[in-house]
Amino acid sequence: MSKNTTSDNATPKSTLSTSNMDDLTFRRSIYADPNSQETDIIAAQDADPAKKQLAQELCQFDEKIKQAMKVDVPEDLCDKLLLRQTFASHRQEKRKSRIHLALAASVAIVAGLVVNYLQFSSSYNNLGDYALAHVYHEQSAFSNNDNTRVNLASLNKKMATFSGSFTQPMGELISADYCRFDGMKSLHLVFKGITDTVTVFVIPKEEHLAFTSTFSDDNLQGESLSFKHANVLVVADKNESLSQWQRTVNDNISWSI
Amino acid sequence: MFNKKNRNNSDNTQVSSNMATKQVRYEALVKALHGDLYRYGYWLTHDKQVAEDLVQETFLRAWRALDSLKDEKAAKSWLITILRRENARRFERKRFDMSEYEEASIMDTQSTTTEQEIENDWLRNKIAQLPPEYSEPLILQVLGGYSGEDIASMLDLNKNTVMTRLFRARNQLKDALEKEPEKMRFIHE
Repeated sequence: MSKNTTSDNATPKSTLSTSNMDDLTFRRSIYADPNSQETDIIAAQDADPAKKQLAQELCQFDEKIKQAMKVDVPEDLCDKLLLRQTFASHRQEKRKSRIHLALAASVAIVAGLVVNYLQFSSSYNNLGDYALAHVYHEQSAFSNNDNTRVNLASLNKKMATFSGSFTQPMGELISADYCRFDGMKSLHLVFKGITDTVTVFVIPKEEHLAFTSTFSDDNLQGESLSFKHANVLVVADKNESLSQWQRTVNDNISWSI
Repeated sequence: MFNKKNRNNSDNTQVSSNMATKQVRYEALVKALHGDLYRYGYWLTHDKQVAEDLVQETFLRAWRALDSLKDEKAAKSWLITILRRENARRFERKRFDMSEYEEASIMDTQSTTTEQEIENDWLRNKIAQLPPEYSEPLILQVLGGYSGEDIASMLDLNKNTVMTRLFRARNQLKDALEKEPEKMRFIHE
């Protein structure tokens, strides 16, 4: 290959003026393109009958080459091409719709996982943080001036769920109800306090929230008591004596198991 | 809700009418150019079956990329470019099991009946024996009707190189002819 192409750039010059185009230049040009319509090539042919004859000869030769190059095209090739395309684009369509289905399914699964994660994962990792958040959330639901009172009997009925009971009333109980304490069924007690309500949670022992014995923020403070089957949390504002409340709870509570 | 549904419907008809247009364009391309493409493939590969496979591969690719073909006049050189690329790819794939083609298998000589066909066969053999870098521009010029500039841009060469190769291609064919004087007459007849 290299032998044949070493002097490829030795170009046929077709830029010489018409009158003095030499034989070699003409030959190279006409061999490169027998049908050349360049003016100097045409002019050179007009000026020299021998050049004209060479050009005509080469045109005829080209015609032979062309005939020889026109090999038979298989008759069924056209139909084959059209048929194959029909099948190919059909397959492509099917593949496309399968991809769409797969995409939709993946999106649905991811969405499901995300919802699942958000709904059931706990965003708090200790008892105190959750207790504070819970109290703030329900702050508007209870007021220190509420007149409703819950008696000891109905409180103990609810405490039975946790296998516990209180021996005597611990104060003025405004509300006692079950609630969800970060996903756990708990008892939520609201007592009348000195300036604001005092909240007591009775929650089952669970691993997923770390036990914090005391906790507080700018407004509220809290303490936890750990019993065998449950934790008892007291949350109140800073005017309350939490240790007093803890003692009352501790003295009054009894467990049936 | 209903608006959305309507819009979807019109989108769908739009898409399917685009598909129909594409189909029509494609069929027109196949009908008009499959012969040229096949012959070009044949002269590149010297093998009828391979040429046919190449053309099929080329048109499949063309179908997928049809939207990128803006100018119908450029269709033929676009297809030739795809075919050359396919052919190069074939060489990459088969580099290890390619065997040198045997000259005897290049042409089928079974149906040479008339004198004209004998001459054609003789010339075909000579064309097939040209080095590919000479025969390819010649095929593009004679069969494809492309100018030196066109060929240069299709083969990614400069024009002077193309013209030199064209000169050499014809020169070698003429030489071969002159070495076999009994063939001389058919150039002059």
